[in-house]
Amino acid sequence: MLPSTLDELIEALRCLPGVGPKSAQRMAYHLLQRDQRGAGRLASALQKALVVLRHCERCNAFTESQVCQRCASSQRDASLLCVVEMPADLAMIEQTHAYDGLYYVLMGRISPLDGIGPRELKLDRLLARATDGVVREVILATNFTNEGEATAHTISELLNARGIRASRLSRGVPVGGELEHTDSGTIAQALFERRAL
Amino acid sequence: MSPKQRIDQQPAFILHSYPWRETSLIVEAFSRDHGRVALVAKGARRPLSALRGVLMAFQPLQLDWSGGGEVKTLIRAEWQGGQPLLTGRALLCGYYLNELLVRLSAREDAHPALYRAYATALAALARGLPIAPLLRRFELAMLRELGYGVGLEVDAESGEAVDPAGRYVYIIEKGPVSAPDYAGELPTLTGRSLLDMAADTFERPETLTQSRNLLRALINHYLHGHELQSRRVLKELQEL
Ligand SMILES: [Zn+2]
Repeated sequence: MLPSTLDELIEALRCLPGVGPKSAQRMAYHLLQRDQRGAGRLASALQKALVVLRHCERCNAFTESQVCQRCASSQRDASLLCVVEMPADLAMIEQTHAYDGLYYVLMGRISPLDGIGPRELKLDRLLARATDGVVREVILATNFTNEGEATAHTISELLNARGIRASRLSRGVPVGGELEHTDSGTIAQALFERRAL
Repeated sequence: MSPKQRIDQQPAFILHSYPWRETSLIVEAFSRDHGRVALVAKGARRPLSALRGVLMAFQPLQLDWSGGGEVKTLIRAEWQGGQPLLTGRALLCGYYLNELLVRLSAREDAHPALYRAYATALAALARGLPIAPLLRRFELAMLRELGYGVGLEVDAESGEAVDPAGRYVYIIEKGPVSAPDYAGELPTLTGRSLLDMAADTFERPETLTQSRNLLRALINHYLHGHELQSRRVLKELQEL
């Protein structure tokens, strides 16, 4: 029998996505045996994050203040709102240096078979944000998966009904990509969606 | 199935998938000759996995798998192509078809005719054909293929052929019964609508409305009170 404190730690680690009993046990032993300092840092960082972090009122990303720095910045074009699924997607778009508008982070995607719909995604909050009178165009930068596509469609329907213009990232063969090394699904869709020159 | 059986190049569609362990996926596939099967796709969530872009719902695939347990091991998945990705409302309806199959079909029950009906419905959705008739056609084909007898042509009480000019009330697990003056909760249909359904002809507005009500009642009955999430999402979208 394991001591109950250890048991509790292993059980707690299982709340992480993709972590089963075996991995949780490995993590617990690692933290306690090999990296107690790391474990301490993890514990205090987690505790602090829970107290300090909240969702930005405007973009829904994590922030320490009511409105995050990006949303408060006057350097940003407030008439453009880019909708992404996760904070990592926002970071990718920022890296392009091709966009100076604002963001809204959904923190998820519509997935009907998992029971995630407009209500679970709190799309009413996004609608309120997009109809603030300043936003002129909403760019839907959700993933090119079925779920990302369903999310983009749902949001665009809701926005169109409110007279807000929605656009979608275009897709196709990657820049610098050679057809020979591109997957057939991407090439097929690029053919279906070809454009006139 | 024997423990080491291997299935090769089986035409299939992915109905649903969910994460499993750190890097893998469990996919619910609907295959032509083996019905609905659960497969573990090892490493499919790794960033460079070849399976990652292939295991997409609504696209015709060819799958190889092996194993005898409830969850088998996916060995290979090949994209068959030829069909644009679903978009818009058609995509949301695609989820509805998938949820119906996940909820109502039993694992490893072969239904080649249902597979064909599903593939036909998806192709029609991808081509942007009118949605209502193709949904009704699929729902009816599915109920019949799964063995839920849906009588349409014979009055279940009198045993007489349904009269196109007559009015019927539909009693689930029994069939249509002539009831010219019925005004209760059960689905009612004209004889003409019943015969249209029997002939797989979903063109008249009356047939579309009445068959929709009947098929919805039948599906709800066989779902035993389970709410379809895809239907709820469509409804919420209309309410927002
Ligand atoms: Zn913000």
